[in-house]
Amino acid sequence: MGTDEELIGRVGVGDQDALAELCRRYERPLYHFIARHTGGRDVEDLYQETWLRAVRAAPRFDPSRRFSTWVFQIAVNLCRDWHRRPPPEPVEPDDNLASTSDAPEARIDARRLLAALPEAQRTVLLLRYYHGLSEEEAAEVLGCPRGTVKSRLHAARERLGRFVESA
Amino acid sequence: MTGCEDALVAFLLDQVDAAAVDHIRTCPRCRAEQPVVRALAVRLAADPAPTPPPTLAPRVLTAAGPLLARNAQGAAWRAAWPAVARALAAALIPLPAILVFDVALVRAIYSLLGAVLPHGLSLYLVVNHAALLALLLTLTYGAVPFLAARQARLLLQDGYRHG
Repeated sequence: MGTDEELIGRVGVGDQDALAELCRRYERPLYHFIARHTGGRDVEDLYQETWLRAVRAAPRFDPSRRFSTWVFQIAVNLCRDWHRRPPPEPVEPDDNLASTSDAPEARIDARRLLAALPEAQRTVLLLRYYHGLSEEEAAEVLGCPRGTVKSRLHAARERLGRFVESA
Repeated sequence: MTGCEDALVAFLLDQVDAAAVDHIRTCPRCRAEQPVVRALAVRLAADPAPTPPPTLAPRVLTAAGPLLARNAQGAAWRAAWPAVARALAAALIPLPAILVFDVALVRAIYSLLGAVLPHGLSLYLVVNHAALLALLLTLTYGAVPFLAARQARLLLQDGYRHG
């Protein structure tokens, strides 16, 4: 089917099969990233909007860039916008998330840990620790220098460390 | 060489190699941070990956349909533009020669008619002739961009059909 970059190029000229293949490849990583970033709220809407933005911007995609960092950048921007919105009414836990848990306490714990972080630190932690992006890739996604990624990671680790120790 | 960040990330991702172990052993800062990182790793690893619902992908593809169609149309126009430009150029290059020839023709007809007909009548006939030529020329050149674009669209559709 070709590389991710070739596929998004084909999406730029209206190829639906190429989009379907990209969705298949990135469904889980993107969905997981958004779910962890927002604590499981509005995940499907944000996921769909990520793809719609990607399709809209596909004709302008720079083939010298990596698709993975590009699409995560779109997701990060959407999640940031989502966090800037006024806080919603308290909601029931996401059934879908709950149903996949073998260890509910651990799940809540991890979600509480992530929720304890400021948005910028949470984003960098998710990209680096959950999705295995390198520091360069995380810096590209976030549009910041590599040193900022390092310092945010360090701050996130310190904060989480205090949280874990106090728990 | 493994740095502090790389070593701690290796512990968090459960991808510890010899270099990371060596680093932790020799770096006091990382040795101090390691228990916290280990506790973090256990908690983060226990976080289950949420499963995307099976209806999500079809929903995304349906919602993206109009955008894909717009992308296809934009690509068709981008691809068609060179053909349109070539057709316009090919049509415009002989235009000066045609205009010079037409002016010379109108003058010659005016001279000929002026020799055998009254001045007013010959002028009326020549003006009519010139107007007719101008109309034909306008119609011909006005149609060039539309015909070129249509031809390019047909070529593109043919290209898509044949892969």
